[in-house]
Amino acid sequence: MNKSDLKDYAVVGKPIRRVDGPAKVTGKATYAGDLLLPGTLHGKILRSPYAHARILNIDYSRAMKLHGVRAVVTGRDFPGVRYGFMPQTRDQLPMATDKVKHYGEAVAAVAAIDEDIAEEALDLIDVEYEELTPVLTIDDAMKEGAVIIHDHMDTNIAASSKMHFGDVEKGFKESDYIREEKFTTQRVSIGFIEPHAVIVNVDNSGNVLIQGSKQSPYITWRHFCRAMDLPLGKVRIINPYVGGGFSGKHEALDLDFAAAALSKKTGFPVKIVLSQDEVIAAFKQRHAKHVEIKIGMKKDGTLVACECKMIAEGGAYASVGPFNIVIFATSGLLLPYRMSHFKYEAHRVYTNKPWCGSVRGQSIPIARFAFESLFNMMIDDLGLDQLEVRKKNSILSGESTINKMTVGTAGMVEAIEKLGEMIGWDGRKKKKAPYRGIGIACSPQVSGARMGGHFGSSAVVKVDEDGGVCLIHGGTEIGQGCDTVLAQMAAEVIGVPVEEIRQMEEDSDVAVLEAGMFSSRCTFWAGHAVKRAAEDACQQLAEIAAPLLEASKDDIVFKNKTVFSRKNPGRAIAFIDLVRNAYYTKGQPIYGRGSYSASNIPMPDLKTGEGDVTNAWAFFAQAVEVEVDPETGRVKVLKSVCTRDVGRPINPMLLDAQLEGGTVFTSGQALYEECCFDEKGRPLQNSFLDYKMPTVMEAPENEHFDIITDDPNGPFGAKGAGEGSNGTTLAAIANAVEDAIGVRIKDLPITPEKILAILKQRR
Amino acid sequence: MTYIRRLPSFEYVSASTVKEACAVLSNNKGKVKILAGGTDLLVQMKERKVVPEYVIGLKQISGLNKIEENGKAGLRIGTLVTHHEIARSPQMQENFTCLAKACEKIGTPQVRNLGTIGGNLCNAGPSADSAPALLALGAVLTLQTGRGERQVPLEKFFTGPFSTILEEDELLTFITIPHLKGKSGSAYHYLTKRTAVDETLVGAAAALSLKAGDDVCEDVKIGLCSVAPTPIRALKAESKLKGKKLTDGLIEEASRIASGESRPRSWAEYRRDMVAVMVKRAVTEAWHRAAANKKGSGK
Amino acid sequence: MKRPVELTVNGVLYKLEIEPRRTLLEVIREIIGLTGTKRGCDRGNCGSCTVIMDQKPIASCLVLAVEAHGKNITTIEGVADHGHLHPLQEAFLEHGAIQCGFCTPGMVMSAKALIDNNQAPLESEIKEAISGNLCRCGGYARIVKAIASVKAKS
Repeated sequence: MNKSDLKDYAVVGKPIRRVDGPAKVTGKATYAGDLLLPGTLHGKILRSPYAHARILNIDYSRAMKLHGVRAVVTGRDFPGVRYGFMPQTRDQLPMATDKVKHYGEAVAAVAAIDEDIAEEALDLIDVEYEELTPVLTIDDAMKEGAVIIHDHMDTNIAASSKMHFGDVEKGFKESDYIREEKFTTQRVSIGFIEPHAVIVNVDNSGNVLIQGSKQSPYITWRHFCRAMDLPLGKVRIINPYVGGGFSGKHEALDLDFAAAALSKKTGFPVKIVLSQDEVIAAFKQRHAKHVEIKIGMKKDGTLVACECKMIAEGGAYASVGPFNIVIFATSGLLLPYRMSHFKYEAHRVYTNKPWCGSVRGQSIPIARFAFESLFNMMIDDLGLDQLEVRKKNSILSGESTINKMTVGTAGMVEAIEKLGEMIGWDGRKKKKAPYRGIGIACSPQVSGARMGGHFGSSAVVKVDEDGGVCLIHGGTEIGQGCDTVLAQMAAEVIGVPVEEIRQMEEDSDVAVLEAGMFSSRCTFWAGHAVKRAAEDACQQLAEIAAPLLEASKDDIVFKNKTVFSRKNPGRAIAFIDLVRNAYYTKGQPIYGRGSYSASNIPMPDLKTGEGDVTNAWAFFAQAVEVEVDPETGRVKVLKSVCTRDVGRPINPMLLDAQLEGGTVFTSGQALYEECCFDEKGRPLQNSFLDYKMPTVMEAPENEHFDIITDDPNGPFGAKGAGEGSNGTTLAAIANAVEDAIGVRIKDLPITPEKILAILKQRR
Repeated sequence: MTYIRRLPSFEYVSASTVKEACAVLSNNKGKVKILAGGTDLLVQMKERKVVPEYVIGLKQISGLNKIEENGKAGLRIGTLVTHHEIARSPQMQENFTCLAKACEKIGTPQVRNLGTIGGNLCNAGPSADSAPALLALGAVLTLQTGRGERQVPLEKFFTGPFSTILEEDELLTFITIPHLKGKSGSAYHYLTKRTAVDETLVGAAAALSLKAGDDVCEDVKIGLCSVAPTPIRALKAESKLKGKKLTDGLIEEASRIASGESRPRSWAEYRRDMVAVMVKRAVTEAWHRAAANKKGSGK
Repeated sequence: MKRPVELTVNGVLYKLEIEPRRTLLEVIREIIGLTGTKRGCDRGNCGSCTVIMDQKPIASCLVLAVEAHGKNITTIEGVADHGHLHPLQEAFLEHGAIQCGFCTPGMVMSAKALIDNNQAPLESEIKEAISGNLCRCGGYARIVKAIASVKAKS
């Protein structure tokens, strides 16, 4: 950021240390797998060896006879109520009842006095299956006479989306240059290092306490209560630290249900920690996608029209697939460039593979990969400059998109300009080293999409009688740094050091839980609520301070643990004295409330794709430099430069870390990560030995720059930002590889074999 | 495919002599597994691929964790010497570069501090990195039973993926590497499947000696891993080089021959191409090392 | 059959009776009760369970506790000195080298083993030292910088 962008904030905008850091760096931070309650039993889950089969019979009598086994449950032990993200796609049950729909689906669970016995008992459960034909590909799923996976449906299409804005045919007629390409992207594993874990206790009155590794405890809570047919008040969810989420830990999972049913049956707490093997083989992955995209532009590079057909292969359950395909267009294609005509058709299909939903960046990385790849090819075809064309088409502050999404502040143009400066764009064209390449890509990032159901944020700031501050919010610390950023905002308002702000584990009995940690929403949404709660507390204190300082309450300033009137800063009282006065003299406890709902924007129309989904858009430009070994085809990502308009970063160090991480994460999908299956739908990988993710050796150097736009809709000017680099990295790497070897690879991952095959052909 | 579990139950025996270990092996044929570093065995047990009744720990046996000079025979490496110890040994780095480099590639640092050279060989994975290096160096194995011991060249040791000539009651105790003669050098080059810390896709080791004073290759051995059911020598490529004056062109030709000697099953075409690249790189580096080797290293 | 095993963990001698099947990781977490050492994959691929044994970083999921008899072991709980953070821990905080924190104990242990034995590691040596520790948040660059800063100070 430029020096002129500095504001007189005490802690906002500062790269302070994270508040959860000391606990994490000393091993004292507790994760779900570290928890134990008195009398805890240990649970294990029996999983289907088939991708698609009917369950004919489950006999667990032999398991029950094993010494130390306390209970076994199956799908029949649950109310049979389906759950899911949207009413029309509620398709999931706690455990399979009559049919298994993907390899590794849970069919039974055991609780025993120790883990070893629970594991041994799994071998004593006899399940009779009738194998069914597995549906494994988009073709399998969509062909005429396809085997139907869900008995309550007559198709394997879980959801579809159709959009048309402007007149795309007219747009192509008006274009000077049109090109159409197909891109395919693969399934990848989410890859968090902490496997799913939970401990559940059901007490004598049937009250359920869940403590699990949950990215979005609200979503888990709602799913859980629906599927268990329980009112929300019967279930309390308390969240320990989470060892990585990346959208893999939103929903209630088989282990949560199994632990609850086993606890209810035995009367003791039940803990289930999955193996990483189970997670990699049987849990959520990123959709595989076929994308056909057509772009029309003027010969000067002005973007005119875009048409896109996309099919997402999403596995056995819909999860957030229906949103995923809408967001692909609205957040992934319709920004950050202006266009006048847009047409889109997408389907999300079921297959007999582990289910897919959102993964770090939602569907935006894939949409940007397809769009920015084709865009890049066309700019080259026309002999135009990659940065100039991107700048020319970038949306500006105050403009709206063709589907009526309003952009408040937009620093896309400035971000691209700065990027060019940082990578020496103009100079490098002349002295390009062989087999080195630079790729550029841009992406928007939503500041928390507004969705149906509960979506508001709330916070409470309690000021103790000795001046301590307790901040209660519904955000979940999953590593993104929300506890730090929210504490910074509260500390800024109240004028106390960040270290004096206490926070606690998310607890559904104490806080109104955030709708979830997704869509880069927490800083923006919970931030607003926290800021307002802190302001409310200060307002209450200002009313008490005003007469003491002989000032108007509107002039009262809270800074450095003192309180004074901005008209007479020389006369101040200590914050602690003011609080004591409130408690002891006025008898008034200080309790600030704040909430935020973005209700100024209408709900987006998921059917037509029209309308705002968010109150602020952040913008990202990234350049990636790669080096290709011409003998082996191996790609090394050398450097990433990311410029961004996130309004104002609340903690630039944490944001840098998250965005660098996003690039590392996504580089795996660009270059080698891929979940593979055999002809029966059985996964070929179930460990980090087979499923390889980037290590330190693959991580590039990084540079960043902030374009400060201080979005008037954001708390302290901030916009949502955490997933920004995921949107740009796939495309930037693909573009960089083309720059390095002169050939475009359109199916991910861009492996050494594919590169070498092309290089060999050319020799 | 199986999900990993906690370890199954077994009886643990800590042997204090080779003889004792061999006795346990011979008295419980088929029910015993030898625990060296444990980095392969414990994972196989967690996967229930092997469920031994007895596990023999060798760590109390003295001498098996040492690298020692063994007179004319060469350097004797105990079966329990860890990958880390070999990779970090200055003597190894200088005189047996390819082995130090191969051991530096295996697993992760946390695994290299546990895993042993003997374990890597006895596990007999087609991708065992230490094997091509030891093949190139002409290593000889000492196999012991209660009845006595035999010396077997490493080339005769592997019989297939994860299988060896070891008898059920037999223990690998030492690996002996003859000193390279004359002006010599060695190198190991590998490509992993995907990331830097990953299974080897193609590994190639070369050890060669030059006739004093010129670039004529007096002797050369090339070992390969991950390109056949077992680690192998590239004998035809070796004979292409032996006795000839080394040039980049000749090495290129030999590398293509080595590629033809490989028999990869998966990723076959790419693997074969990479055999040529890795062999070329390994031989070239070994050549340059030999040429730069002033002391001639002949002992 | 349980066997007597003595482990010195963070300077404290534990005299235990342990089944041979128990890994060192299980003993540290479940019997001794130090849960800072994490179980990520249980196969030696992720580095979350790294502890220092006889000055070397090792995967505690690949060691039988009975074979660690008599050994000196340091876990993440033994790195800070009576509440005073180790310079490495300070550096992780200062450089933003922590995100979800699940890999952090293992990273710190790998890094500590490195700088205990090598006062001025090169960047390549730092990378090699943590090459067995996976971080899916992707914070590697900052972790490398954090470790390098400790070297620079000392």
